Amino acid sequence: MRNNLTPHLIAATALATAFSAALTVAASADDKPTEKCYGVALKGQNDCAAGAGTSCAGTSKKNYQGNAWKLVPKGTCEATVTPTGKGSLSPVASR
Amino acid sequence: MPASLERGAGGERAFAARLLDPDCAAPRGLRVPAGGSADRRFSVYRNNVAVGLVATLAARFPVCRRLVGDAFFDAMASLFALQSPPRSAVMSAYGEGFPAFVAEFPPACGLPYLADVARLEVALGRAYHAADAEPLGPAAFGRFPQGAWGELVVGLHPSVNLVASPHAIVSLWETNTRDATVRPVAVAQAEDALVVRPHLAAAVSVLPPGGHAFLSALATGVPLARAAEEAAARVPAFDLAANLVILFRSGVAATARIGAAPL
Repeated sequence: MRNNLTPHLIAATALATAFSAALTVAASADDKPTEKCYGVALKGQNDCAAGAGTSCAGTSKKNYQGNAWKLVPKGTCEATVTPTGKGSLSPVASR
Repeated sequence: MPASLERGAGGERAFAARLLDPDCAAPRGLRVPAGGSADRRFSVYRNNVAVGLVATLAARFPVCRRLVGDAFFDAMASLFALQSPPRSAVMSAYGEGFPAFVAEFPPACGLPYLADVARLEVALGRAYHAADAEPLGPAAFGRFPQGAWGELVVGLHPSVNLVASPHAIVSLWETNTRDATVRPVAVAQAEDALVVRPHLAAAVSVLPPGGHAFLSALATGVPLARAAEEAAARVPAFDLAANLVILFRSGVAATARIGAAPL
């Protein structure tokens, strides 16, 4: 039985206490959640995008073969703080 | 597909192969107006296919795109599209394999969190298109007798998607989604994400300690007390009360019943 291998880390009373406390918190916070929780409604992704961004230049090679191996990320990742300090770009930029 | 093109699966395969290889000539049998070049015209079509797939990925992974910039993302996405063209006509399902591709993409190796952010964006799309279900709130849980609380078997909402990460993926996602100027994020802070769409809007939040293990255990159908013990065994800092608050009010639960006694 797998159950016998699991140490009983949570007593029944502890579960009951946590359960009723959580019920109270959840009920009182029902109208105004306080945890970090951001809603996002995705934009329609089923458009037929034959308009902007569609190139009829006829030179597909450029779009196909943008040489990513030489590319360096240039987005907001520079604002990201790593354990070794800012500049998560350094391993890439050193190339 | 033009009527004069080779018929049958072989012809379609040849057409598809040429579509994805810019060094190939146009497939045989294309009809073009007098003076037109089949190769040039096929290149236009090929280019539009590539641009469309990259745009699809850009729509599904807007935070990844913002993190690395448009040029980097579009180049990375077009390489992925060449390697993993859609298997389904449902474009909202396209890109499920993108996080794994990003994880192995050498130019992105300096951004170890990028693949997990992509997994979070996949989870958002899945949650968005998951089946609807009415979530259970605290009132429903409160109706069970206290003696049965530990034996509750909870059915999670169909839209629940969990993404565990050693990186601050929710903070990264949040600031890149909401802020015109991103705020600095300490990326080494581990964050386990919960994505759920209780009604019309998908929501992303950080789970309390042990929350990923707790909800994963509940998802296997074990009773609540067992799920809590498994989570506590795996994550010493497991916070039962905080996780129960999430369970009761975030729309994570769709059903609950008193199951077999856990012992």
